[in-house]
Amino acid sequence: MSRTLLLQLARLGDLLQSLPVITSLQTHFPEQQLDLLCAAPLTPICKLFPGIQRIYPWEGERWHGFARMEEGGNERLVEEAGQYVSDFAFPPYTLAYNLNNHPRSILASHLLSARVVGAGDRGPLNPRLPPWVEFLQHVARERGANRIHLADAFCGLCGVSPPRVIPIIQAHDIELPPDLEQIVNDSSFVKIGIVLGAGDADRRVPLTTLCRLIEGCTDLLPNCLCVLIGGAGEREAALALEDKLSSQYLSRILNCVGRTTLPQLAHLFNRCQWVIGSDTGPLHLAVACGARVIGWYFSRARVHETGPYGVGHYVWQYRGSAHSESTDCSREKGGPHLPCSWPVLETLQIIHNQHTGENPSGWELWNSHHDEWGMFYTNGENSEIAVKLREEVWKRLSVKGPNHQEFSTMNAMTAG
Amino acid sequence: MNLFQQNLEILRRHNRALAAQVLKISGGTLSIQLAKTGVPTAVVKNRAIHSAYDPIREAERWAEHQTKDCQSGETLVVLGVGLLYHVEALRTKLPQDSVVVVIVSDLSELVDALSVRSLDGWGDRVCWVWGHSEQMARQVTQQASRLRLLTYEPALMIHQQEYDAFRLQLRDQLAKGVSGRLHIMVVGPIYGGSLPIAGYVVRALESLGHRVSWVDHSLHAPGYQHLQTIQDDRLRTTVQQRFSDTLGVISLAHVAEDPPDFVLAMSQAPLSMAVLEQMRRKKVLTAMWFVENFRHFAYWQQMIEGYDFWFVMQQAACLEAFKNSGASQVSYLPLAADLSIHQSVDLSIQEQQELGADVSFLGAGYRNRREMLPVLLGHEWIFKLWGNEWDRAGVLETVLQRNGARIDTATSVKIFNATSVNINLHSYTGIGFDPEGDSVNPRTFELASCGAFQVIDHRTLLAELFDESMMGIVKTPEEFVPAVRTYLHEPEQRQVMAERSRKRVGMSHTYAHRMQTLLSTVGLASPDRIGAILQGERQAESLLARSRDCPELLPLLRSFPKTDRVELVDVARTIRQKGPEATLSREELLVLMMDEYRQEKRDFL
Repeated sequence: MSRTLLLQLARLGDLLQSLPVITSLQTHFPEQQLDLLCAAPLTPICKLFPGIQRIYPWEGERWHGFARMEEGGNERLVEEAGQYVSDFAFPPYTLAYNLNNHPRSILASHLLSARVVGAGDRGPLNPRLPPWVEFLQHVARERGANRIHLADAFCGLCGVSPPRVIPIIQAHDIELPPDLEQIVNDSSFVKIGIVLGAGDADRRVPLTTLCRLIEGCTDLLPNCLCVLIGGAGEREAALALEDKLSSQYLSRILNCVGRTTLPQLAHLFNRCQWVIGSDTGPLHLAVACGARVIGWYFSRARVHETGPYGVGHYVWQYRGSAHSESTDCSREKGGPHLPCSWPVLETLQIIHNQHTGENPSGWELWNSHHDEWGMFYTNGENSEIAVKLREEVWKRLSVKGPNHQEFSTMNAMTAG
Repeated sequence: MNLFQQNLEILRRHNRALAAQVLKISGGTLSIQLAKTGVPTAVVKNRAIHSAYDPIREAERWAEHQTKDCQSGETLVVLGVGLLYHVEALRTKLPQDSVVVVIVSDLSELVDALSVRSLDGWGDRVCWVWGHSEQMARQVTQQASRLRLLTYEPALMIHQQEYDAFRLQLRDQLAKGVSGRLHIMVVGPIYGGSLPIAGYVVRALESLGHRVSWVDHSLHAPGYQHLQTIQDDRLRTTVQQRFSDTLGVISLAHVAEDPPDFVLAMSQAPLSMAVLEQMRRKKVLTAMWFVENFRHFAYWQQMIEGYDFWFVMQQAACLEAFKNSGASQVSYLPLAADLSIHQSVDLSIQEQQELGADVSFLGAGYRNRREMLPVLLGHEWIFKLWGNEWDRAGVLETVLQRNGARIDTATSVKIFNATSVNINLHSYTGIGFDPEGDSVNPRTFELASCGAFQVIDHRTLLAELFDESMMGIVKTPEEFVPAVRTYLHEPEQRQVMAERSRKRVGMSHTYAHRMQTLLSTVGLASPDRIGAILQGERQAESLLARSRDCPELLPLLRSFPKTDRVELVDVARTIRQKGPEATLSREELLVLMMDEYRQEKRDFL
């Protein structure tokens, strides 16, 4: 059985958006064993990924250390770095799938495998980009009317079609802190995850808005429990949020901010019925764990490329930051625009299945679908043409690269 | 055969000469006692050289601590003999093939050790070096270039002077063998007396073949000085501090952009503790050449732990004060002259008329000068006073030139050349000569370098730099006038003395000499980094020799001229030049990977 390696050295969001390509590679090449190389801090969550045999950590800090090493000459640096790589005892790979068009990822893929599919497939120094990478670069630059989801583009990059079945992460076996465990496993609650964090400041939802959301949830659903989600960096924000809430709501929130590892967070999401937030990383995890997601996308987040991957999810896209069919000029005009109003009431209506179709000013509601070309979002308007354009893009870009395996993407796709 | 004889046999097998010498010497330096654990320990003048309880355990801990930073390929040079417990512990801890050299400054001490401690099992794997400091330094440098000094302080203190002399000799010997080129960043002040010195330092380092990046903050001087328009003292000081802090961050950005091997800051360089701490986190070695009187400017105390190395122009009390305040490394480094600036010049008739005089003084109007210089008025000679800060100069106003304007370097060189007797009176805020006057000011070296004659006030550190055959030295203020009168009437003697002082500068007191000393000191204390580079270990030739285990790198390294310093960035550049179709070896990919991370600067500020 041959071994192949998938390289995904980017952050949590991109890693989780690699789940579909993992599923697809398994489907198309069941005889292959697939290993994963990812950023070291993310390896614990990868252990929950279905279909991955071995997980290898990419320790950026170690490489920084080598690069900063003052003692000894180049030969010593090379020796130490070589030893470091050898210590992982990577098996000989027949093929590496590289998902990041970053020099480090390209170099790593060539370091570990003689053949590379994806970014850098023509050699570590060859600037020629595979069609799918060129396409993604174009989308990142121009945005425009693209409807190809990033996770599906990863599939295209690896020469496989999008998966027919949406991958799911199961983390029920992961132990939670005892106080959380009891509440989280209490099935009498409808658990709604509220994601506080958002990485950059310009992607954070104001605390007062989150307060209104929590109050609305608990007023609307008498058996609702709002689970606050976030990393250690959001602890203070979570405490401030608790301060802002009137005391009657305090018993209806479960503050998990900064208290969970990524696998524990996956367990929490397994238990949540809904997850709401603006940080795409946790939202991707939530959707992979089976929760239904309502994303509030503004600033740089864009529904068509990075909307939650699955069926039955919603994204409120703020038009002021990234109009669905037009170039985003906000950055050129001096930074992203923050919304003036938030779709709090409308989000509650969705959860209660009572959305009237009216949107708050500047916001559009998109809901997710899945077909043979992967994920897509519609907003009830006539988006059929745009959706159909995906087929054309797939046909145009699915040109076999120099190292693609003997698998006909087009055949498989049309057969489906 | 007793213990001493057995030890002698061991010594004789490897070092006949030492064994023979030891036989001729009697012991008695150490007073031997028994430790609580029953093994011998030693005392000198009531000071314990080893633990009175468990010398073996103590030595093991010493060896553990000392070997933490040691790298393979280094020769470990131990200073301090005592009863050799520490040497045995060190030898036991190190691999068989590592080299341990013990510097024996006093054979009598060794005899004491050999009488009570056995060399069996380890003594034959020690290289013993004894003799005069120069001789020992030569022996050590002939054996190896990559040295790491390990000091066993309790024993070293018995012969502190001898070991200090050895260290200086070793530093100078190593300086002679320097072939490697460093990248040094010189950070200068915004303005002030150390600014021109920063320029001389830059030129000197470049003349030694090093690559120098000068962070010249004098560019910001007009902006900084404009802050004087802020009337409120506290407000002004706060804004000036912020301004200075920003310049520190600018320095840090320069370090991030083009990382140096070493940052050399001059006095008043605007590097805050936060900036220095960040440099340390980023493994950038830093040094400060503090060219001020440490008693007059005390800001060094706040910065003392920020720099890895301090260089000061005063000795004894200064070195002690810095060490006591927490300086990890502090060394004496006097000022100097720049031969390309401070030299004999021909003056036009007009220049001679304006700048020439029988007797001149050039300098700022410190209190002692205001008080003493009037004695030079009203004599048979023409006396001219140059320099700034002479407002309300009283009787001296009649001889003050150019209304007390600041005199630039080029003009000062002309004044030195055009004056028969240059008065060099060190600044002091009290009356008379500074009773603690030790350091020698830059003017001393500059006058000498110009071949100009000077009469100078006595300084305790002057004698080791110049002697009385080179300049007129006065020990009391009362001697000034007689000395000037004497030398004014002895033009030939003045010329001979000035010429001697000029030659002395050329031989020993240029900024290039100082920078050699400074870098050797840093190299000696940092053998695996600066020391290794200075000894040429980063040059293509040396890398080629060491890359046998990495044959894939050989063709790459061969593409560089043998004496070129080759760093990761250079190798990476060569690899990238192979073109888009190239297939790269594992080692080449590793080099490129490390270079990718090297380029990242996002967390530097």
